[in-house]
Amino acid sequence: MTQNEIQTQTHHPTTQRRASTMRITRTTGFIALATTTALVATACTGGSSAGGSTDGSGDGDRPDVLTVAAWMDFPQELLDGFEEEHGITVQIESFPDGASAQTVLRNGLSSGGAGLSDVHLVELDWWTEMMAVPEDWVTLPPVDGRWVDWKVEQGSVDDEIKGYGTDIGPLAIAYDSQLLEEAGLPSAPEDFAQFIGGDDATWETFVAAGREFTAASDAGWVDSMTTPMQAAINLLPAAFEDPETGNALPLAENDAIRDTFLEFATAAQDGVSAGIAIGHADWGAGFQAQQWATVITPAWMTGIIEENAAGIDGWMIAPDAFPEGGGNWGGSFFSVPSAGQNTEWATTLADYLTSPEAAVAMFLENGQFPSQLDAINDPVVGESANEFFGGQDVGGVYGQLAADAGDAAAGGFRGVNFAGIQTLVTDGIRRVEDGSQTPDQAWESVVAEFDGLGLTTD
Amino acid sequence: MAIDTAPAAARRIGISRRTSKWDVKVSPYLYISPFFLSFAVFGIFPIAFNVVVAMHSWHRRLGQGDFVGLDNFRWVLEQPAFWTSLQNTFSIFLLSIGPQLFFALAIAAFLDQNLRTKTFWRMSVLVPFVVMPVATALIFGQIFGQFGLVTPVIQELGLFTDVNSPFYQDRVLSHVAIATMVNFRWTGYNALIFLAAMQAVPRELYEAATIDGGGRLRQFLSITVPNIRATMIFVVLTMTIGGLQIFDEARMYDGTGTGGSNNQWLTTVLYLFNLGFGDWPDRLGHAAAVAWLFALVIIAFAVINFALTRRIASSKATRSKVPASTTRTLIAEARTAAEASSRAAREAGVPTLLGTASRTGHPDALTHAQGDTER
Repeated sequence: MTQNEIQTQTHHPTTQRRASTMRITRTTGFIALATTTALVATACTGGSSAGGSTDGSGDGDRPDVLTVAAWMDFPQELLDGFEEEHGITVQIESFPDGASAQTVLRNGLSSGGAGLSDVHLVELDWWTEMMAVPEDWVTLPPVDGRWVDWKVEQGSVDDEIKGYGTDIGPLAIAYDSQLLEEAGLPSAPEDFAQFIGGDDATWETFVAAGREFTAASDAGWVDSMTTPMQAAINLLPAAFEDPETGNALPLAENDAIRDTFLEFATAAQDGVSAGIAIGHADWGAGFQAQQWATVITPAWMTGIIEENAAGIDGWMIAPDAFPEGGGNWGGSFFSVPSAGQNTEWATTLADYLTSPEAAVAMFLENGQFPSQLDAINDPVVGESANEFFGGQDVGGVYGQLAADAGDAAAGGFRGVNFAGIQTLVTDGIRRVEDGSQTPDQAWESVVAEFDGLGLTTD
Repeated sequence: MAIDTAPAAARRIGISRRTSKWDVKVSPYLYISPFFLSFAVFGIFPIAFNVVVAMHSWHRRLGQGDFVGLDNFRWVLEQPAFWTSLQNTFSIFLLSIGPQLFFALAIAAFLDQNLRTKTFWRMSVLVPFVVMPVATALIFGQIFGQFGLVTPVIQELGLFTDVNSPFYQDRVLSHVAIATMVNFRWTGYNALIFLAAMQAVPRELYEAATIDGGGRLRQFLSITVPNIRATMIFVVLTMTIGGLQIFDEARMYDGTGTGGSNNQWLTTVLYLFNLGFGDWPDRLGHAAAVAWLFALVIIAFAVINFALTRRIASSKATRSKVPASTTRTLIAEARTAAEASSRAAREAGVPTLLGTASRTGHPDALTHAQGDTER
């Protein structure tokens, strides 16, 4: 019995048998009970009857619905395309952000697959955590020549592909050309790129440009120094841990991290930063109040900036220039939990959702930059004018930055303690930004906290 | 037939007696068993299992690791963040308990008056409680943020101009902000509990006080408060437990949810959560140790509370009772007075006394006279 049938039945008796109220309440009561039972029954069968499948073709293995856990918008045509081709409805379990999807996935994996979807979007930042037990994930068949090589490598565990790449996050610097112009500094994209150091840009030239800007403007140079710090950490081959042993490197002797930390912390102390990181409640308001001129912007963040800076004209992306030659931040994979009921169909769906055509559609919907070679070279991606970023060819800019970064974009080693140590370090920068510590004090306290953790170090 | 049925009937009585005995003995336990069964599964088992987790190194996904004994406890006690979190928890608790008690009592006292549309006012008080804590935290995050309602006003006055928002930088102010959220959420709820208790206070007491010329405030302090003392103890107890477990507000206070760059508003439960379910995939054992240590703190608090409660309860009893010695002296005085007056009455002559006494209107004389007549 479908829901519609039940509804027509409820109307029927209430209109016809108006004579006895007692009877009506009894009848409606019964029907309400029947409805509830029917609803519960539908819920128990995993929504299979709610899907409205029409083919009774005796294809026993084929599910009516496949679920996908993700936190971005999907173009409806993309999902409809899969249904047309395979007769399976794709249902998106939408999460507000990556962190909540991460929690659900984490709990699902540790409880034997409870509450998991057929396909999960896994972000690079927590890839290592989710791959703690590789058998949790279905090994996917290789698709030759679809992705840039390092994306396939990132998505593999022990040479077995555990995730099909969706997007990558080539790093760029987005800037508010209005504020630059008001400060009397270069505001056209090419000029701005030169201003922050051009082809030879380093974190030092980036910060130096920031000092010049803040001398001429009330706004900050970056939203928060924690963001360039994280980007810089992303560029290091072995930021906090030894790739061979997996043990933590003693932070007190980690010169690369210390130098970058002090560089950014000193800048923060000098007011080069506005001190509001992404995720902070004031981040959106800060855009609206034009509190900072630049944001470190991996490709997937362009959509987020567009949302938060809506109504502010003049945001652009610096072409061909990123400190230290550029790199990658984040990007995701579609993976299939082996606990699922329909892993084979789910694999087909993951394949479909990461096809170059799908990637182009996702780029147009969310601004996610494709990891698929054909999609990167697709003119729709490479030569599209982005309305928000002043008609700039954003896809082309990111394509160039990704090409410049090359294999460095693969990023460094991330072990068990990576996220924890990274938070210690960025918290140190935040302490300088909110004025509670000087750069040196902050570094000392970060090292003290690290030592207090008593991690096994090399 | 008759011979057969008689013993059978007797036996049946015996059985039913035995069953009824069992019925009396066992049934009550059966009736309450559902709660205790679910408590065993969802309460006692996790608590016991937590001991096992706390004694091992424990990975979120890989599960049980090596047995480490008390190492996890030692590690936690060595972490400055743990001690900071304890201080923060108590600071936020202390900042919320006072205002909450005061305003809840005041609101309840107002609601206890004869208002028009009583139900409307009472329901309105409960609205903040219905709002999800997460939503509350988001709303107040906006109020205390750099571009919020409060901060720009303070900075206009020339205070804290060197920071974005003092409520996210200063430790005490962040506690004030979080305590405000807690107060917002719980004051109305507690007010309704107080209101229920206040309505059980006999109205004659207020009438008597009004006749004696007691003002509203005096009535509140001398009649209302002493009469709802038991409810106040209950409210303080629930506030203590709820206050120590504070998590949602601190977690949602800023976007990162780690308790501030310097652990300014890191509460103990938030610390536990971040250890077990945050950046570290292999620290569930440490989180379990935090849970146990914190449980000890709460138990200590509960014991102190219990002692205080008993003292308050017993001191209340002695205060309201008149000391036995006073009663004895009073009785003795009354007796001498009675003897004296009856002697006087006998000397004056019984029949005339009744009339004289009632005419002079002396109540003592009257009673004694009556007593004498009866005798």
